[in-house]
Amino acid sequence: MAFRLPLPDPLPARGWKVKIRDLERNEPPHVTILRKQRAWRFALRTRTFLDEVPDPKDVPEEIVTEILRQLDVLCREWDAMYPENPIESREDDDD
Amino acid sequence: MTEPLFLLGDARSSPFRRLGSDVLRSIDAVREAYARHGRARWIVLDADALGLLASAVHGHDRWHRLLLLERASTARRELLHALFRVVVAPDDGVSLLPPEELAEVMDDEGAEDRFIGGVVDADDRALVLYRGNLDRLVVPHAWFKARPKARPDFAAFAVTDYGQTVQLGDYEASADAILYDLDPDARRRMKEREIKRDASFGGALRRLRSARGIARSDFAPLSAKTVARIERGEVDEPHGDTLATIAKRLGVKPEQIKSY
Repeated sequence: MAFRLPLPDPLPARGWKVKIRDLERNEPPHVTILRKQRAWRFALRTRTFLDEVPDPKDVPEEIVTEILRQLDVLCREWDAMYPENPIESREDDDD
Repeated sequence: MTEPLFLLGDARSSPFRRLGSDVLRSIDAVREAYARHGRARWIVLDADALGLLASAVHGHDRWHRLLLLERASTARRELLHALFRVVVAPDDGVSLLPPEELAEVMDDEGAEDRFIGGVVDADDRALVLYRGNLDRLVVPHAWFKARPKARPDFAAFAVTDYGQTVQLGDYEASADAILYDLDPDARRRMKEREIKRDASFGGALRRLRSARGIARSDFAPLSAKTVARIERGEVDEPHGDTLATIAKRLGVKPEQIKSY
């Protein structure tokens, strides 16, 4: 089941969603912020936006704050959904 | 997207009024547009407009693609299938985005990388998805891997999130993930964006390995440490037996790895 992060009002009414879907382009671990036909990928390891387009500045600060506040929950959900690509499996783990 | 988009029907009270496309109102205008453009997208809003289109178009150029928003008779559908390369229309089992989302996706420059709907072929275990450019993409049911907490339910298929999510009951798949794996052109567009971050062989290997859900330790006789070094570009780009081992484990040809 896809995970949907509850967001504070009025963000949902304005069409904002934060999800981990069951089938994502799963490299690297991330949540997807959606609004209408735009989507931003926010990396759970580095806590940064993965893409320059669309512009991360268009995402309300309250959403990033909520993601960071719920980071443990999001990481647990990612690990449960993608056990083959866990958050803690960092680039250097195999050394 | 440079292809023209033509609209037929009364759009005044419809979400499609926002489209900046040409609204065609006469047989002559339809005929002229159909003949002049080698390929275009067409949206027909209502039965009157469908009648206009059916009576106006006579030709053999089948690169045009059509979105109908009203049901058509079997005979008329056959006619339209003869005149258009793709006909997307409401029918039993066909699921489309809500009109407001449909209009926004069709109007988006990235429409080809969004889905507007689809239909489940349960007998052949395939999902036919319609894209915003009105092309089709066929996805085998088996492609949607079950997750520890969710299994795809094809009886509950819908496209949501303005064409960015394929919903199969509680199971959701991103349009990007589907297109990245199944459409080389879409993958190229996404890769062009990612190349800005990491254009190396190692970067491509890392993306493909993660997409396949394969661990670095799964490339025997190569060690996980060796694979990690290749991904980080700390050693020369592999060739020969090493490259063949990597490609075989990933299920692609050696020369395809860098396209990921």
